[in-house]
This record gives sequence, structure tokens and C-alpha cells, in this order.
Amino acid sequence: MALPLSYNWRNLFVRKLSTGLTFLLVTVVVFVLAVLLSFSEGIRASLAATGSPRNIIVLKPGSTSESTSVLTPEETNRLVQTPGIAQDAHGRLMISHELCVQTSIPRRDAKGNLANVAVRGVDEVAFDLHEVVRIVEGRRFEPGTQEVVVGRAAQQRYANLALGDEIALGRLLNRRFRVVGVFEAGGSAMESEIWAPRTIVADAYNRHLSSSVVLRLEDAALAGPAMDYINGPAVNLESKTEVAYYKDLSSKTREIVILTTVLITIMGIGAVFAVANTMYAAVDSRRREIAMLRTIGFSKRSIMIAFVVESLLICGLACVVGLAASLSFHGQRQDYLSNATWTVLAYELKVTPRTVLTALALAMIVGVIGALAPALRAARTQVIEALRKA
Amino acid sequence: MNADIELRDVYKVYRKGRIEIPVLEGLNLQITEGEFVAMMGPSGSGKSTLLHLMGGLDVPTAGSVRIGDARLETMNEQELTAWRSRHVGFIFQLYHLVPVLTAAENVELPLLLFHMSASERKERVATALEVVGLADRMDHRPNQLSGGQEQRVAIARAIVTDPDVILADEPTGDLDAKTSLEILNLLNLLNTEFGKTILMVTHDPKAAAHAKRVLHLNKGVLERDEMNGLFEATEASI
Repeated sequence: MALPLSYNWRNLFVRKLSTGLTFLLVTVVVFVLAVLLSFSEGIRASLAATGSPRNIIVLKPGSTSESTSVLTPEETNRLVQTPGIAQDAHGRLMISHELCVQTSIPRRDAKGNLANVAVRGVDEVAFDLHEVVRIVEGRRFEPGTQEVVVGRAAQQRYANLALGDEIALGRLLNRRFRVVGVFEAGGSAMESEIWAPRTIVADAYNRHLSSSVVLRLEDAALAGPAMDYINGPAVNLESKTEVAYYKDLSSKTREIVILTTVLITIMGIGAVFAVANTMYAAVDSRRREIAMLRTIGFSKRSIMIAFVVESLLICGLACVVGLAASLSFHGQRQDYLSNATWTVLAYELKVTPRTVLTALALAMIVGVIGALAPALRAARTQVIEALRKA
Repeated sequence: MNADIELRDVYKVYRKGRIEIPVLEGLNLQITEGEFVAMMGPSGSGKSTLLHLMGGLDVPTAGSVRIGDARLETMNEQELTAWRSRHVGFIFQLYHLVPVLTAAENVELPLLLFHMSASERKERVATALEVVGLADRMDHRPNQLSGGQEQRVAIARAIVTDPDVILADEPTGDLDAKTSLEILNLLNLLNTEFGKTILMVTHDPKAAAHAKRVLHLNKGVLERDEMNGLFEATEASI
């Protein structure tokens, strides 16, 4: 049977300084890990919320995003024959030609720096096709007018996007558009966009070709045959499900994950040494105690477990405190410049259950690895020698 | 269990590199259950080694050590550890109490190795502390106790599992005369009232005088084996 937990717990307070410093270090490691992961989780969540598995996005072959794709009417004509396209209440095929451009808008902060914001020219059908988009204030724009609706995240972060405000758009920023509605899109990347009538955007920017075409399917299961048709010789364009498209756009999170992995590995190794140092000190100062425990019948395994448990207590508590500190960042809005679309996307920092589990796993790994060698030394204590030295 | 102790032709040799240091040289000894035996001798005479062999903390280089039905020289380390927890109570010169645990928790430690309910453990701890006269110090930590009280707690820890044999290594070596007497009286009580077999290593003739039998070791051999009070010396059996 193992030694009682109270034995481990009270021993933590015997060498307060050494234990305290190790505790602090592991807390910092967990905190940094949780904050960095909350960035990537936030971006991933924002982009993952954007795509629908029933929607297929069609781009020019070779283009990485809508901003680098141009589709001619000749190229998109045959899309109407794609198998499985859904129809709206009026029996019209749900195909949305969309035009993506960028504009510079000042931020709301004191400096008022300009940010690149995506402007999406769409037709009425886009509101039905992008199911997450929901007008929450005002109304939709009228087709053929200089009206826009703005995403909630864009409205919160950029100036002059309140209902009734006017913003300058167009190639020469010479067209005044009135904000007539605000939409939410489930925290997705679209909430960082401004939507306007496609024909007017095309005219203002002198871009009369679509960037992308989005097709709504009757069922997500039909995505395979539909994409086979589009990617095949009949149409010869590139198509992906929206989910896959936005997942690819979240490539920046991979950089954050790599950075996190490198940083946390280095910090984690440091923490392992700190834990090992503390536990070695604990073992050396308790050699007689260990010898006594072995003498009265505690096995080597029990002794090892006792020291590993002690280390896990330090790291487990540090993990809880580190995670609690990282929660102060949870829900904070940030934005990042997408390297695929060159527009700013807003996202919320998220401390997710996955982050909690990762942090817990890291703390436990640091605790176990750090304690292993000292615990082994404790278990191998030469009982008679230790008793003699007493 | 029968707790007779029998050592036959026991040799113990320690090795330091290539050098061999003989500590016990062909020792033969029989101790009957219920005896209180003191072991005396100068430093390096082998008395502590003998105690360690009888307590299963070490194994002889040659010869056999039998305690009751157990042949200790045939056991591996795990078996010896398990055997110790059930059959031997240890008392050390410096008590070796765990400083972060209370007196009761220290006494409870050996019981954690048994399948026993918490209430039964609590009951046994209370009884053991009562036997040593410390029922009112249960919740005290070692640093809140005097040296004599600490040794009493250590004795309670040694008897709480109701072992067959109690091995005491200089149990009064760190105590003043008055406290030593109290501890020796307590060991006498455990021997006479509870029938415990006690083997005590000591340098102090006054302490040895409390035992019924005194073994004198010198250079790894049993030099004298005498019965206290009867002054009956027997020739050492070598």
C-alpha cells in the first residue's frame, strides 16, 4: 500500500523555497502554453465556424484563396449542371457568385491605424446559402444600391461602421456606401467582412469577374460527386468543401502550434530539471526516513511512488494555477492578418477543454520525468548504510 | 507463530572493492521465544550486523538464519520486506519518526501495509500509544515531543503490528539516564507482560542489565553468553 497523501502533501512545505520556485516555473510554463494554444484555438474555431459541409467553393485552379482567384462567366457557366445543387423556396438553384476585394478602414483604437478589411460582393442568394449569416440589426442591403451590411466583429473593431454611417469604398474610395445592417455569423471569419451588392462592388472596383462561386448542395454526402464533376474536364475548376477551404486558410495556426511546441519543449525541459533538482533535495534530506520506511516494510515501489506523487502534486497544483491565470485571456478579441486573404480576421482567444487537457498532460509529464531519477535514487537507498549514518 | 531464533554457522563478509572485511565468523546462536537478550561488544564487533541479519535487513554470506519457520537466507529482497512488515518491530537509536506526521500517524505507518479498515487501524494505534503511555500525545508532531516521548512513539510503532520479535538498536543511546530507565522499563513490560522476544544492541552495561541474557561479541565471534541475575556464563558456541 502506498504512503498516505498527507505524507506527500505536508512534505511539500518542508522546503518551501525550492518547492515554491519549482511550482512557479511550472505555473509559468503552463500559463504560456495555455495562452499560446488559446490563440491557435481561437483562430481555428473562427475559421472552422465559417464553413458549411453542404457548401462547395469553386476557385480558379492554382489559387490559394478567393483573393487570388478570378473566374470568367465562360468558366462558371457549366456549374449549373453540377449534380446535387439545392434549390431555394422559389425553385432557383442555390449558386452564389461572389466577388472579394479589400479596403482600408481605420481601427477604433486611439491610433486609428488602417486595417485591410474584406469586402464581399454578393447577391441575395448568399444570405440563404451561408446559413450562419444572420442579420441582427437593421436589414439586408437592397440589390443595386450603395448599401452595405457589416459583420459584428468588423463593426466592433473598425470606425464608422455603426448603423446609418457612411463609408467610402471603390477603387478610388469615391463611392459612399451606407451601413444598413449588422450581421453575425457564429463567430466565424465572415463576421470580419463587409457585404455589399455584387454588381455595385464590381462597378466600384472595376472588377467584373467573380472571385469564387459557392454552391449549396442538397446534402453534404453529395459533395464528392459534385467536386468530381467540377474538378473534372467538363468544368476544369478547383473545388473544395467550404469546411476544407477555411481549414486550409487556418494554416497560420500551424505556425503558432509549431512556435508553441518549440517554446514549450524548451521551457518544459527547464521545468523538468527544476523538478528533478527539488526532488533530489527532498530525497537526500530524507534518506534516514526512507531507510526507516524500507525497514518497517515499505517496498521500493511504494517509496518511488511516494516521490513521484509528491512531484505530481507540485506540478498538478501549478497546472491549476497556470490555467486559472490563462483564463483571464479567455474571450478577449484579437485579430490577425491572414496570409492567405491579406485581410484582417477577428477571433476570440479560447481556453478550450483541449488546451486544459494538453496543459494537464504537460504538467504530468514534467512531474513524472522530473521525479523519475530522484525517485529511483530514493528506492535504491542503501538501508543499512542510511541507518548507520544516522 | 513460534518465534525461536536460530543462527547456524553464520558468516558475514563485507566487500570494499577488492578488500574483504569479515564481520561475523561462524556464529551459532539460539534464542528462545519470549527472551529479552542484550548484545554488547566494542564497535565493529558485529552486533549491529547480527541485528540486521535477524531483522531480515541483510543476508548472511554463509550459514542460516531461522526465525520461527522463516529461513531468511533463502528469501529474496521482496520476500524479506514483506516478512519484516509482519514479524519484526524495529526501534532505532534516533527514533526515526517522520517529522511531518503526528505521533498517531507515525504509529499507523506499519499498519498501512496490512489490509485493515481505518477504524481498526485507529483502534490499534490508540492501544499502542496507550501501552507506551502517550495516549494524550496522539496529535503531537515529533518536534513537539521530548526525546523520551519520541522513543516511546517509536516503540508504539514497533509494537502496533503485534510482531513476534522486537529489535532495538541502542534504544537509549540518545537519552539521559532517567529517560533511559523509563524506556528500558517499557521494554521489560513488553517482554514480561506481552511476551515479546526482544533483542537489544547496547553499549551501556546498565541498559544490558535489564535483559535476561547478555551476549558479548568481539571481532565477529560470540565471546560470552551469560544469563543476568543467575551469573551463569556458558561457553560460546562457535
